[in-house]
Amino acid sequence: MGFTAKAQVYKAAIQETVLGAGEKALTLGGARTQPLCAFDEAWKNAPAVGVEVSDIPFETAGLPALAAWYEGCGSFGDRVKKAAEMEGAKFICLHFEGADPGGENKSVEEIVALAKEAAAATDLPLVIAGCKNVEKDQALFSAVSDALPDRNPLFLSAREEDYKTIGAACAMANGHKVGAESAVDINLAKQLNVLMTQLGVPAAGIVMNLGSAAAGYGFEYVASTMDRVKAAALEQNDTMLQMPVITPVALETWSVKESIMSEADMPEWGSQEERAIEMEIVTASACLTSGSDAVILRHPESVKTIAAMIAALA
Amino acid sequence: MGLFDVVFHGSDEMYALAETAVKETLEKIGEDAPVAFGSTAYYLACIKAYTGLEVTNMAQLRDALTPIRAMMTRNRRTADIFHSGIATVMAAEVIEACKYAVNPLPYGENENPNDNKYHGHMTDAEVRELGVPLVTRDIPGFVVLIDEAPTDEQAVALIKGYQSRGIFVFLLGGIIDQAMRKGVKMGFPVRVVPVGPDIIGVSHIISLVVRAAFIFGNIQPNDYVNMNRYTMDRIFAFVNAFSPVSDMTVACGAGAIAEGFPVITNEVKDMDWRVPKSLVINTDVDTWIDCSLEARGIKLKVTNIDVPVAVSSAFEGEIIRKGDMQLEADGSRKDCLELVRTKDVREIEDHKITLVGKDIDEFGVGEKICMATIVEVGGAKMQPDFEPVMERKIHSFVNCLEGIMHTGQRDLIRIRVSKAAFEAGFRMKHFGELLYAKIKNEYEAVVDKCQVTIYTEPEKVHELRIEANKIYDARDDRVSKLSDESVDVFYTCILCQSFSPSHVCIVTPERLGLCGAVSWMDAKATNQLDPNGPCQIVPKERVVDEEIGIWEDVNEAVQTYSHGALEQVSLYSIMQDPMTSCGCFECICGIEPFSNGVVIVNREHTGVTPVGMTFSELASMTGGGVQTPGFMGHGRHFIPSKKFMKAEGGLQRIVWMPKALKESVAEKLNANAKELYGIENFTDMIADETIVEGDPEALVAFLTEKGHPALGLEPMM
Amino acid sequence: MALKGLDIFKLSPKTNCKDCGCPTCMAFSMKVARGAMTLDKCPHMSPESLAKLSSATEPPMKTISIGEHKLGGETVMLRHEKTLVNRNLYGAFLCANMPDEEIDKRIAESMAVDYERIGERMIVEVLYVNAPAEQSPERCAEVAKKAAETGRDLVIEAADEERAKAALASAGAAAKVLAGANAANWEVFNALATAKKLVLGVKAANLSEAHDIIEKLEAAGNKNLIVDVTGGSIKEAFANAMQLRRAALKDGDRSFGYPSIVNTARLARGDRHMQAALASLFTLRYGSIVVLDSMSYAEALPLYGLRQNIFTDPQKPMKVEPGVYPLNGADENSPCCVTVDFALTYFVVSGELERSGVPINMFITDAGGYSVLTSWAAGKFSAGSIEKFFKDFDIDSKYKNKTLILPGKVAVLKGELEARLPGWNIVVGTTEAIQLVRFLRDFKS
Repeated sequence: MGFTAKAQVYKAAIQETVLGAGEKALTLGGARTQPLCAFDEAWKNAPAVGVEVSDIPFETAGLPALAAWYEGCGSFGDRVKKAAEMEGAKFICLHFEGADPGGENKSVEEIVALAKEAAAATDLPLVIAGCKNVEKDQALFSAVSDALPDRNPLFLSAREEDYKTIGAACAMANGHKVGAESAVDINLAKQLNVLMTQLGVPAAGIVMNLGSAAAGYGFEYVASTMDRVKAAALEQNDTMLQMPVITPVALETWSVKESIMSEADMPEWGSQEERAIEMEIVTASACLTSGSDAVILRHPESVKTIAAMIAALA
Repeated sequence: MGLFDVVFHGSDEMYALAETAVKETLEKIGEDAPVAFGSTAYYLACIKAYTGLEVTNMAQLRDALTPIRAMMTRNRRTADIFHSGIATVMAAEVIEACKYAVNPLPYGENENPNDNKYHGHMTDAEVRELGVPLVTRDIPGFVVLIDEAPTDEQAVALIKGYQSRGIFVFLLGGIIDQAMRKGVKMGFPVRVVPVGPDIIGVSHIISLVVRAAFIFGNIQPNDYVNMNRYTMDRIFAFVNAFSPVSDMTVACGAGAIAEGFPVITNEVKDMDWRVPKSLVINTDVDTWIDCSLEARGIKLKVTNIDVPVAVSSAFEGEIIRKGDMQLEADGSRKDCLELVRTKDVREIEDHKITLVGKDIDEFGVGEKICMATIVEVGGAKMQPDFEPVMERKIHSFVNCLEGIMHTGQRDLIRIRVSKAAFEAGFRMKHFGELLYAKIKNEYEAVVDKCQVTIYTEPEKVHELRIEANKIYDARDDRVSKLSDESVDVFYTCILCQSFSPSHVCIVTPERLGLCGAVSWMDAKATNQLDPNGPCQIVPKERVVDEEIGIWEDVNEAVQTYSHGALEQVSLYSIMQDPMTSCGCFECICGIEPFSNGVVIVNREHTGVTPVGMTFSELASMTGGGVQTPGFMGHGRHFIPSKKFMKAEGGLQRIVWMPKALKESVAEKLNANAKELYGIENFTDMIADETIVEGDPEALVAFLTEKGHPALGLEPMM
Repeated sequence: MALKGLDIFKLSPKTNCKDCGCPTCMAFSMKVARGAMTLDKCPHMSPESLAKLSSATEPPMKTISIGEHKLGGETVMLRHEKTLVNRNLYGAFLCANMPDEEIDKRIAESMAVDYERIGERMIVEVLYVNAPAEQSPERCAEVAKKAAETGRDLVIEAADEERAKAALASAGAAAKVLAGANAANWEVFNALATAKKLVLGVKAANLSEAHDIIEKLEAAGNKNLIVDVTGGSIKEAFANAMQLRRAALKDGDRSFGYPSIVNTARLARGDRHMQAALASLFTLRYGSIVVLDSMSYAEALPLYGLRQNIFTDPQKPMKVEPGVYPLNGADENSPCCVTVDFALTYFVVSGELERSGVPINMFITDAGGYSVLTSWAAGKFSAGSIEKFFKDFDIDSKYKNKTLILPGKVAVLKGELEARLPGWNIVVGTTEAIQLVRFLRDFKS
């Protein structure tokens, strides 16, 4: 008697949030189906792939293809420009690792100058990631927010400790977007969204960073949190969990053993670069399958592959 | 003159000055000359905010006078005072605009206004710089100090007092000279800003206020109601005005009150119109800080805990051995107690720490002492029901001190102070400092003031203990009298969702959380203290069946907080949609079909039950947030409740419990069984592991011999 | 919906005869409801009861055995709803069309992947052998033989009866699945598979046709099936996999209650990176046998890690074996550090320690598989448990450096440890793993 598939389309939808400005502006969210299920209903907006560029040039020993991609880039702006040329890149993530007071400790002024340089180098939407130091991130996000008034960037991330300052300085004062970061727990994620909106940040200005992990490193928590958040958003119409999800995959996968052990140390594992790429690809694919609306990647091969997979599923 | 006349007169005066200023400036620079304060996107912000006009030249400035005048209504109602007050501030802005139109640096040569005597206009960047911490409440508020304080010393004391509390300070008029004479450092970076030489400069401060509302609140121009609502709700400002107060200042003060900013003054003349918390007459200038903060409802965070040892949760499990001990307060041997009491806020001196009796250094090493800690708290939202919740937290607060060990609660506490802590300088008052800081911070929502008294004098402690026991008894009595019928709401608890994603506890007075740690009272307090937290209110208005314990509201809550995994629960049934179990339940009850009853087993009991399963076997099929009819996790205190499986006939269904568990609930269980069924010593009829373990037939034989009521009841399935 | 224990109990004999091994009928019923026992363990069930129960206790998705491995048997769509029970298998794709060098290369590469991770052996479980019409039956048999020699389980897809027979014959006991049953050949293939007790793989033009074939096979008495959902495109494959599982678990369509095969090699067309992306997608969403061209460490490391994560029971923590793990070439003269056996803690901490490059001995103690603070709070990670570890592994006599680094979060244990481990210098380390690299480098200098 055959089989007729039932399209599973929900009444509720993931909230739409716009990043960036002008022709290259990017809309995240809008889906009324389970993640990636374009066969149930065509996408309003496809999930997006962004490229991570750090103010500290990437370590490229053992990574010839990555080194070749950025070869000849003298400045941060050059690297941003080059990153934007990757096939499938829809936005750029400026990762200011160098601001870390425990590391290079670049001043807020230096970071602002770099952010302006990056903004001049590309018209793709910008996502600003900090150095994970709460005090420093607050200061640098506020300053970068004021320095890029017309670019509508997304700031990663506001946490329970600093959401007030970042929400006020970035989202409320300048109308930019803020990533609400929680550590793989649906209730904490929701609570942070509630607190941010109570502060006065419009819900449409919030994107969620639900936490991330490389494949094999506790990814079950990431997957289950995303599964639950999407279910609550779509089945329960929970408006405080309908924000689109962004996952900074590269910030996790490039520091695990599989990606950093040299081929000399682990000859049986083979090419270090292949390992790093596959780790990034597998993790990114798993994030999108679980419900990320955007992923941040580092390697041009990963960016190309994940963008192609999204296109093939559309 | 009454206050109405003073306001009207002051506002007329300001308007006249504005008219004159416009006339003279027009003569000087003509009507096409530009008008701007510089570095702002909001034109003349006060005028834009309250009229919608965007003034860019002298002609427009002149035209703006008309709507300003029109706002100065004179009907002798409160609204007239407020409108005139706002209009007075706009008139002041007109005067300031004229100054800037003639000379872009009217307050000095320096480009950086912080280097000039008066700061004048503030840029949008400065509004943001101040606005962000005002929104986040890192700066709890700001004060505008107007004119000369009675003495230079008082001026400095107020400025420094506010500064030390993190309050941003704006100065207008004579107090600026007082501060300069005393060498007070001023400028935006040190959060003390001398704005201008007279009250006219107030327009710069209100300009900052309305721009903050534009920027952070997305308030639209010419929206009087929403602008004032925003400033009232979100901008924690207030005014201190010194006598003699000019009529123009009073008129501007009316504008401040319209925006929700209270005015505190020592002027008594013509102040016949009083509004509590809005216009406060207080002639004792030295008490203005507390008085002002209370009027504006500003609560300060305690950031430093003044103790000589570290405070961290890492020390919570620290054990102090006898040999390392400086002294000990042991409630099982000496009189000791801890008590939190609610008191009228006016009778509490915030942060007062008192010691009655000897201090640590006055006792001998290793001595066992008497000790009573009385914490008194007050606040508009404080309720006596929160007392036990806070009191129980004393344990974890004190335990976080390095070198201090704390166990127990009420009059059964034990505290040890280590030699190392003593040598680091730890004394009795530091208990007070710690409790003050922790309670103020943790219970910010309800505690406005807190004081701590520590008693070590044996007779006094003995008296206190007798008194405290009466209070403890009264509390227990109140808790035991609470019933599901006597309250209007239940609460959710979803603390366990990190382990058990779809589990939701519904906490009622008679059915505490299944972990046994969250009573209805705890859930209520948790909800009030953290309205977005794990305990949410569940109304119980729409009854479906009160016998079985079904409410539509409860079902909706379960659906919402299980994120759709559960549809409905019956609070008083284990057969029909029983409540789910997370994994941390104290006890499990399960149906025993041969006796028509249920067995209950607690986590500590490892033996097999007559159902043929142990606690952990039962737990493995009951946990995880799924409904398993016939089996249910619950708290120990639910067992003797009249609501315990009421739908299936209640307590008389209990046929087996481990002996230790049976004994711990015997008193109440027997009392309720007597009341409900007229059975004496019901627990004697309930089997335990000394009588039968994994054998249902032996169980039935025992029950038959005892005449257990369950045997005669209808089968449960 | 799965049956509740009480429903089963009502139909049980209620005699507590213990013949099933359980002390009571209630205990037995609860175990059956949970899937821990099967109904046939009770010899006294009445025929009426059995009839009533067997259809109701039949799971929505059948559990199919592939050699030692089990597939399917899932009751929920997502792991948080309860747990996923049977992890997917990975396979490498061999086709008789390929030149021998290519086949040898694929086998060699895939066989090289063989390692252990948290107590689980990571290998390519399955070789997928395609026997297409354009190759002779002899050639197909030859390739099948080569594959069989690896000792791994084989899926054999054949174009027709002749090739199926040839390949199966030469594969012998290694053959576990006969794939390629379609609308035209299902009867013949069914006979072949049933005779050899093989799982039969259904491959149809679309899901509707697959449903028809399965209905016919079930009517013929075969419920030992697996469904190839690959289809013609990535989008189609994903839609098929999702819809098959939804139909089985949400709509109770028993004819779709079977595991699936996804051949990413056919979908990615030689793009190995795309293949890895798809393997990840189908690991999460309902591929039961996920086939790749071949498996190298580059793909295996992330994919097996992902699979291990996703198929853990949400209520049971993953544990690593307690013991001494020397890192960066550490020996008896290197400093030591101690932490818990929670798998995530182990991976994160060992990763950072390795990144530091400093030789160090990592002590993993038995802490019940919980994180540092959780196990400490539960009393499973304490000065006493560390002391016991020292005794069990004879640490004191084996290690000469006598420096022990303690996780910063349990700094409070320092004093007691100093008392219990005389001669050892107890150093409080960092509170977060991420700070370890700098800590160790500073510590060394």
